[in-house]
Amino acid sequence: MTGFIFLFKRECHRFFKVLVQTVLTPVISASLYLLIFGVSLGQHVELTGGRYLAFLIPGLMMMGLMNNAFQNSSSSLVSSKFTGDIEDLGIVPLSRSQIIWAMSLASVVRGGMVAVTTLLVGEAFYIAKYGELLLPEHPLWLIYFVIMGGLVFGQAGLMAAFWAKTFDQLSAISTFVILPLTYLGGVFIPITQLPPFWQNICLLNPLFYFINGLRFSMLGSADMEVLPSALLVLVFCILLNVFAHRVLTKVSFSRW
Amino acid sequence: MQALSIESLVKTYQTHSSSPVDALKGITFDVRPGEIFGLLGPNGAGKTTLISIITTLEKPTSGDVRVFGQSVTQNAKATKTQIGVVPQEVVSSGFFNLEEILKYHSGYYGIKENSARIQHLLQRLKLTEHKHKLMRQLSGGMKRRMMIAKALVHSPKILLLDEPTAGVDVELRTQLWAFVRELQKEGVSIVLTTHYLQEAEALCDRVGIINKGELKYVGDTKEIIAQLTQKKVELITQDGRKVNFLLNKDESLGKALREKGISLDEVHNLITTEGTLEEAFVKVLST
Repeated sequence: MTGFIFLFKRECHRFFKVLVQTVLTPVISASLYLLIFGVSLGQHVELTGGRYLAFLIPGLMMMGLMNNAFQNSSSSLVSSKFTGDIEDLGIVPLSRSQIIWAMSLASVVRGGMVAVTTLLVGEAFYIAKYGELLLPEHPLWLIYFVIMGGLVFGQAGLMAAFWAKTFDQLSAISTFVILPLTYLGGVFIPITQLPPFWQNICLLNPLFYFINGLRFSMLGSADMEVLPSALLVLVFCILLNVFAHRVLTKVSFSRW
Repeated sequence: MQALSIESLVKTYQTHSSSPVDALKGITFDVRPGEIFGLLGPNGAGKTTLISIITTLEKPTSGDVRVFGQSVTQNAKATKTQIGVVPQEVVSSGFFNLEEILKYHSGYYGIKENSARIQHLLQRLKLTEHKHKLMRQLSGGMKRRMMIAKALVHSPKILLLDEPTAGVDVELRTQLWAFVRELQKEGVSIVLTTHYLQEAEALCDRVGIINKGELKYVGDTKEIIAQLTQKKVELITQDGRKVNFLLNKDESLGKALREKGISLDEVHNLITTEGTLEEAFVKVLST
């Protein structure tokens, strides 16, 4: 257990050392989205029964969380492959399970910090525009989706980093898989406003359920009921955990 | 019980493009508790593969390694705590300073509070004044010393040194070997690979020579030199004549002198030079 705690602390310590890059940068991106889409263009968007800025804030929170959770584990492992530290993970008496959980929980912490700071920035915009706070309707669901989002994308980042043979391969996963799925997962528009064909396509996108769940937690309503989203997110988490164990049993802890 | 038992160890790498590569072809030998064992061989002989299997970075194709009786394939967690490794290439741990690296590394071994040991190692390896620096801020020699500190932070009973002096200057090499001798006195068993055969000769109680994945020789360092090399004899007679000849292990000097028709009264000076591990090494590899 001590080894697990130390690896978790190390992974958190690592991103705290570069806080500007790991937390501040995504918050600045989210602020620009809030300013351009939420405040400026958002006033021309018609949503049935809601304000666009309120719709956008939870979407951006989950987008930042997923990206940063993925990057936390993947960039840590890829830089370890480059510097050679990865061999330390292979030779110390840490089990595969301890490595997976320590790294993905650190991803939860970083992703959660980005989500919370995005919410705080969103609140500032919301207060400035509407003169009131946007309070979460279901705080427990909010915590659930933040933890699950961090765990799933932390584990995905870990697998991607072990699979990648070069920096380019890891970057390709972020650019060609994570980014399009995030944008097509309902961050900026409700999928109910899309044509039926594209609505069905969006339902095949796993990231939609994370975004939908967090939006429900904040607003009390979303494209889909919360329970199916919560269950699917749990299934994704279990599946990724099984895959991550299989990957770590087979891969080499050798440096590049 | 042996510190390390290498049992019929085979490692075959499957390659996509060409036929499988046999890195280790059924190697068997033991490392005794408290000894310095030199693992010698040319580049690509299989030394680093063997160390990778001992540390569980690689899995053997067949055979096993036992660390104080426990199998590295069956009980890896227990064997890992007994072993410290200094890899061939320097690890740079970009984000953390030396003290932090050692603290986290202790934690991975289940040691929550290890400040005394960490400070002791930093002091002993002359790194105390650099403990707040990052690895990339250190000189090559300091990095090597730090790698040793990291390998020893959990007080292992076996230390594996994979070419620790490759590319380091003479002064540092001398310091490192002095440190290795101190560790041996403390009861640590040491396995080292090195290309510096003079050092292996001076340091190692026993050596194992591997080539192309096969163990060619294992035994006492002095014994291999005696068995496989010849003693050089340089003799100057009273009348100033120089006579050079070689003596095999079983040959006596008196008999050799008699055969050459030189009596002891004629000898003005006589210098004998023992064979070297390097000569023995070359002979083993050529057979």
